[in-house]
Amino acid sequence: MDMAEQPRIKLPGQARKGEIIEIKTLVSHAMENGLRRDQNGVTIPRKIINRFVCEFNGQLVFSCDLDTAVAANPYLQFFAKVEEDGTFRFSWTDDDGSTLTAEEKIIVTA
Amino acid sequence: MQPMKGPIAVLRRLSVAAFAVAGACGMVTDSNGAERVKTSAPIAIEGDASPRPWTRYPGWTTRNFSGFNSLASTASPPVALQPRKLDGPIVGDPAIGRQLVADRRRGGSCLACHIMGTAGNADLPGNVGPDLSEIGNAGRDDEWLFNYVFDPRVYNPETIMPPWGTHGVFNDSEIGHIVAFLKTLKEPARFASALDDPRKRPTPEEKRDNLDPLVNPGMWAVEKAQELWKTPGPNGSSCVSCHANPEAELKTWAASMPYWEPRLHKVLGVEEFVTRHAKATTGQVFLMQSDENTALAVYLRYLANGTPIHLDQTSAEAREAYSRGMALTTRKIGQLNVSCADCHSPDKGGLKWVRGQWLGQLRGQLDHFPTWRTSQQSVWDIRKRFQWCNVAIGADDLPPDAKEYGDLEFYLAAQNDGLKLNVPGIRH
Repeated sequence: MDMAEQPRIKLPGQARKGEIIEIKTLVSHAMENGLRRDQNGVTIPRKIINRFVCEFNGQLVFSCDLDTAVAANPYLQFFAKVEEDGTFRFSWTDDDGSTLTAEEKIIVTA
Repeated sequence: MQPMKGPIAVLRRLSVAAFAVAGACGMVTDSNGAERVKTSAPIAIEGDASPRPWTRYPGWTTRNFSGFNSLASTASPPVALQPRKLDGPIVGDPAIGRQLVADRRRGGSCLACHIMGTAGNADLPGNVGPDLSEIGNAGRDDEWLFNYVFDPRVYNPETIMPPWGTHGVFNDSEIGHIVAFLKTLKEPARFASALDDPRKRPTPEEKRDNLDPLVNPGMWAVEKAQELWKTPGPNGSSCVSCHANPEAELKTWAASMPYWEPRLHKVLGVEEFVTRHAKATTGQVFLMQSDENTALAVYLRYLANGTPIHLDQTSAEAREAYSRGMALTTRKIGQLNVSCADCHSPDKGGLKWVRGQWLGQLRGQLDHFPTWRTSQQSVWDIRKRFQWCNVAIGADDLPPDAKEYGDLEFYLAAQNDGLKLNVPGIRH
């Protein structure tokens, strides 16, 4: 069976002010690299997630461009320093222009 | 992505069965009780639980193996009884032979099981068969070597080596080239690293946290199943209607599967039970190996994770299913003419390498199914694994609800008795 469409996010629900937290993301995507052929020898068109962006309260935290060598179901793990309560917003942009998004809130204690 | 198999018309053939015993939904308590509940739970009796005719998955080999035994039919060419006499010495080209022994398109070819000196020695030879690196010094004549490749059963009826000539994998002239190459093998193999040497290659061990959704995408099946659980079917009811608290109620159920189903005269595993029970209760049609069926099959075992696998074998029918399953594991099938036991029994090919792949034994092969396959990027149930195994050795696959697979799963589960369910697994 194939996977669900909902991205997976893992980050702590709360952190201390100034703490560096770890964020893990996993999204379901075939990452078809455009180099494969089907059984009739016809090239399967490229369809990958080409960009990932993470923002916190509207400020860019982390972004990257993904290319054809990235395996199916891209998993990204990175760190962020949090100074205030807020919302992380994640987006994955597909070659077809569509975007998957997800949000996670965090509470910051003194 | 699993393709949808077969037309909707197939779905319609599954008609709703009589509800044998009222109030039998849910409530599994002890093992005897579990058996009673299973054999009285409503199931759709009519029709098949997977499309007919069964068509092999796209991307798998399209070759027709109907000329060879499968788990359900007998068709292989007769066993050679006598070595063939050769007219004269073999005329072959060792260079061509050297390529043929490493040709992955020919049943994995010789290197799948044998170390062969310089031939592809950096290309992961296996060690199911003896090291042939010095066979050229063994004093074997051309006729013996030819016949051993053509059909080794003339010298050793118990062999697990495929009859390459009798079963048409290699023709006479190709075997001639292979014999010419074998005669050049006179020095021990040298390996660039321990990974290349199957005798030193470390045994693979699965240590990933398979229940972490960020590690195992198969965990997404659990989420999908939880949604399906509360989605009403055509009858207006859903799983929740009878099973409001599956975490408590189904904590052990899946560990007692598969079971002998007297109403169908066959063994049902979790997957076929889901198909037939859903049809009879909510009216949903979740054919075996559909995304929905696999998700529910993962979830039902996930609920029983940590419970030791244990089958009820008290009935005569269950013991007969066990015996049939055991017999199937020694049945020689496919163009390569091997049985389950040939590859998975430790006194044969089990716990050895076939090329770069480790052949596990039967115990340990079920507790993690359905499992996420990283090489396939999807979740496979055990029946799909059976199908893949069949096709890999040149035997036609059967529909997932074939009674032979039921018997085989029953025997396999019995070999895994006491191992705790750990689903979804994650494997190559």
